[in-house]
Amino acid sequence: MERTASDGTGESATGNAIDADELRLVYGDGTVAVADVSLSVPEGEFFGFLGPNGAGKTTSIKVFATLLSPTDGTVRVNGFDVRADSRQIRETIGYMAQETSIDPEMTARENIQFACEAYGVPRTERDDRIAELLDLVDLADEADKRAEEFSGGMKKRLDAATALVHEPPLVFLDEPTTGLDPKARNRLWDYFRAINDRGTTIFLTTQYLEEADQLCDRLAVILDGEIVADGSPVDLKRRVGGDVLEVGLDGGSEARDRAAVVAREFGAFESATVEETADGISVTAATARQHGTDLLVRLRDEGLTVTGFNVRAPTLDDVFLAITGDHVEELDGASGPATPAEATAQEGDR
Amino acid sequence: MSSPDADATAARSVDQSANTFAGDVWVNFKRWNLKAVRNPFVLVVSLVQPIIFLVLFTEVFGNVAGAAVSRGGPNVGYETFLVPAISIQVALAAAVTSGVGLVNDIENGMFEKVLVSPMNRTAVFLGKTAAELFRIAVQISIILVLGVVLGAEIATGVAGAVGVVAVGLLFSLWFVSFSNALAVLTRDQESTIIGANLLQFPLLFLSSAFLPLSTLPSWIQTFARFNPVTYGVDAARAMMLDADVMVVIETTAFGGALDSVVPAVAVLATIDLAFGAMAVYLLSRASSSDVQ
Repeated sequence: MERTASDGTGESATGNAIDADELRLVYGDGTVAVADVSLSVPEGEFFGFLGPNGAGKTTSIKVFATLLSPTDGTVRVNGFDVRADSRQIRETIGYMAQETSIDPEMTARENIQFACEAYGVPRTERDDRIAELLDLVDLADEADKRAEEFSGGMKKRLDAATALVHEPPLVFLDEPTTGLDPKARNRLWDYFRAINDRGTTIFLTTQYLEEADQLCDRLAVILDGEIVADGSPVDLKRRVGGDVLEVGLDGGSEARDRAAVVAREFGAFESATVEETADGISVTAATARQHGTDLLVRLRDEGLTVTGFNVRAPTLDDVFLAITGDHVEELDGASGPATPAEATAQEGDR
Repeated sequence: MSSPDADATAARSVDQSANTFAGDVWVNFKRWNLKAVRNPFVLVVSLVQPIIFLVLFTEVFGNVAGAAVSRGGPNVGYETFLVPAISIQVALAAAVTSGVGLVNDIENGMFEKVLVSPMNRTAVFLGKTAAELFRIAVQISIILVLGVVLGAEIATGVAGAVGVVAVGLLFSLWFVSFSNALAVLTRDQESTIIGANLLQFPLLFLSSAFLPLSTLPSWIQTFARFNPVTYGVDAARAMMLDADVMVVIETTAFGGALDSVVPAVAVLATIDLAFGAMAVYLLSRASSSDVQ
């Protein structure tokens, strides 16, 4: 970090949008939300930050967005120090909070208008920008309705629009598509991709691993306040160790137990991971594609009835399962964002 | 920005020059006025109770209270005696909504949204407070007009009316601060409303608002001495009657109504400063540590 200009000119000597070095954040009540996070996000990258609830994702984002001051460590965002140059950082980032943040008493247009004024979008550009954003988030027809009449998904889309009014070089998206229907989600994905193609760095957290897989150039997984894995989605999937063969079986748990034993003893796979699933078994192995049919034949020979099978490449879900173990249930179990009423009490979700 | 990277990031239209302190104040002033207009219910409700007081008190207690007023204070009709007090009541009732607005902002995420924007935080709160003061000024003006319609007399004319509004605004600041402090501490709309409303009636009745202090029990007189409402009401009333009506601080240094107005304004300014400092401290603590 010593290399980086410390005179507050905003020159990013590293070419990184975010440089965090040994970031640590302890809340007033002693909760260690972020234990030790070091990460760098180069300018222009689409970066995904994954982890179960309470792992420290939102807390990290709040430090980067200058809403929380780090207890320890150095953090530079767009070349500015989060402690000394918070105002410069606020001018050069967009931030979409996990909890939908809009004024329900104002219309969609007025919400975006207020954001334009807050971020100093030049008066001459405002009307065009507002129209463009309303169209983007598919609220043009509802532009002059009060936001309190909107559905959850519409509010989320409006929130996204307000975070992007000043076309910032770096955007933080804290679970931006939670609660959206697939159509709205795809629409936002398209826009996130489009602004990323224009050079905007994006820092995304999400509950949807498919979303991370679709969008992100690089991912980091945070667990208990520390980063435990990072790399491109392809890298991470490769670490799972091969393809996944899923076999459906008749005969309930007894059949699954027997099949699992057969699969583990099956010689053609080297170091296979065998798990029982809801309706059969799943086998992860480097040679799952080549020797999958052999296993199916063996299972039939053992008197087991195979009702279906599928060989697939590992997904990020598999990666997650491998990395976070038990924690993954929390991630899957998490539904939409916390309601405002819960927001004050959700210490565990930081 | 003087960044050497500026060329490389030319496509990014981050405009820093457009944000000025006055501009930030104006943006927030506009937003809160818009919200007030959007929500006429709040506007009306904080006026209804004082208006009920004004009409009922003058009609029901007018004769009896009028005699008491003449005995223990200035020789004026009860309407004229009451209007300054109702003006202060309006300021009190309207000030509560300031804290309620802050709680709503915290609950719907706008508080954080504003904090993460480059707007100057002092300007943000100045703009919000200015909008609330503007609303209080409008509401007090409505009360004054209504009072005149009901038969109240403003001895000092339009200048006096403006003075009453000014005193009402000065008075409201400490309660605006108080309701914002409650908002930050409780972060709960009901608690803020109940907490602030609970205080309203004791503050009003244990003061010089409805009857001259000399006609009230001595324990009330003692309490009234430490009650900001007494100073607000006395300053407004002195201006309206063009007479020295204050009994809690006696001076003849300024002459006429000013013998009431100057000490009362000094006391109110001091109270405002104390409560304002507390609110600013709590708000800046809440801003720097986020909505936890």
